[in-house]
Amino acid sequence: MRRLSFPLVLLTASAIFAAAGSAREKKSGDDRGVTSAIAQAPLATRDWQNPYEGQPDAIAAGKKLYLRHCAECHAKDARGRGRAANLRLPGVQNATPGELVWFLRNGNLWRGMPSWSGLPVERRWQIVTYLKSLRR
Amino acid sequence: MGAHADRLDGGILLTAVRIPFTLALLLTVFAAFAPPSSAQDTPYFITYSHHLEEPGTLEIELSSNYATQHVGNDFIAPWIEFEYGAKGWWTTELYLDSQHTFNDGALFTGWRWENRFRPLMKDHWINPVLYVEYEDINGADKTMIEVVGFDGQADHAVRNFVVSREHKHEIETKLILSSDFKGFNISENFIAEKNLGHQPWEFGYAIAASRPLRLAATSSRCNFCRENFVAGVEMYGGLGTTDSATLSGTSHYIAPVLAWQMPSGITLRLSPGWGLTDTSHRFLLRWGLTYEFSGFGHKVRSWFR
Repeated sequence: MRRLSFPLVLLTASAIFAAAGSAREKKSGDDRGVTSAIAQAPLATRDWQNPYEGQPDAIAAGKKLYLRHCAECHAKDARGRGRAANLRLPGVQNATPGELVWFLRNGNLWRGMPSWSGLPVERRWQIVTYLKSLRR
Repeated sequence: MGAHADRLDGGILLTAVRIPFTLALLLTVFAAFAPPSSAQDTPYFITYSHHLEEPGTLEIELSSNYATQHVGNDFIAPWIEFEYGAKGWWTTELYLDSQHTFNDGALFTGWRWENRFRPLMKDHWINPVLYVEYEDINGADKTMIEVVGFDGQADHAVRNFVVSREHKHEIETKLILSSDFKGFNISENFIAEKNLGHQPWEFGYAIAASRPLRLAATSSRCNFCRENFVAGVEMYGGLGTTDSATLSGTSHYIAPVLAWQMPSGITLRLSPGWGLTDTSHRFLLRWGLTYEFSGFGHKVRSWFR
């Protein structure tokens, strides 16, 4: 039992340490962080064409993917939650689809946005198509 | 001696078999009430990719390794993983290992604590990840989460009450290299493991490739559609030690893998594996059940406000 309790204590301590550390981090909630992160996208990404632009099926698929992968942090209505950015704000909506798909691939690891390079690029484009549809 | 074996067969069987089943049941109950979540995990059992756990997400996984023996008894070795995304660039994970050897006994074999770090903050053609793990296990551990040095099936032929007396305090390091290309993930791991009890460094490798069966998502929610399945293959084995870096006498395996990522957030994985050398187990069968609790860190943080 002693051998089992030590790792459990270790796990609990790690979780509390990581969570308490995150709690001290400054909340943003606005789009400053995401805007500056998107601004790091190479210029060439502005010319990338969204193969699914405006397609209703892609918007629906993108919404499904958004709810599955993104909504827990950015909220179901994409208006953000806590430190996660509001994706309806100009900083995101004025970015080109290419810049957004680049940002999804790279994330912003220091600020807690994971890299989604594990999703096939086709699915990242579908998510971007859905996000762009929120502008209307 | 006989009494000891009986005790292993009876009382401690609880650890190796009943606890994983109880946790599987709890996992299913949690899954019914927790928000759905699904990450971008690769289907591998042995090989690591550069995809870390999303920050604040806790992933619980129940896995098992069944192996046949030329000599000795076949066994099944379940383990439980608690994986937490501490930061976007740091994932920490705790393993609890156990095993049940047929006609012998069952026991808890120890624990491992691993950490993975992404040194580069952007995605590249090849993405390195640094891996450090501390293991406190005994000689009866049969999870075979990594194969290094001259690990072989002969190590698993010794009876539990004998081999469980050996305690191993080990440090394991890995250089993980991983790439995503046209829907494929290709990963290579280089392993160096050191028993802190004056043993030489042992080396090993793992390589793997996988791809979703369909790259783009469909517009409707579905369970059995191809987009939810990821197929791949991994190969792993030992590369000798600092005293004798060689392929001779080492074990090597090839194992197709298949993962089914359900919209509910549960992922099932299955991997039959075949030994490629005389020292390898002839056949392995691994399975895993994973569930992610996204927002776990957020809930814990709320306790401190």
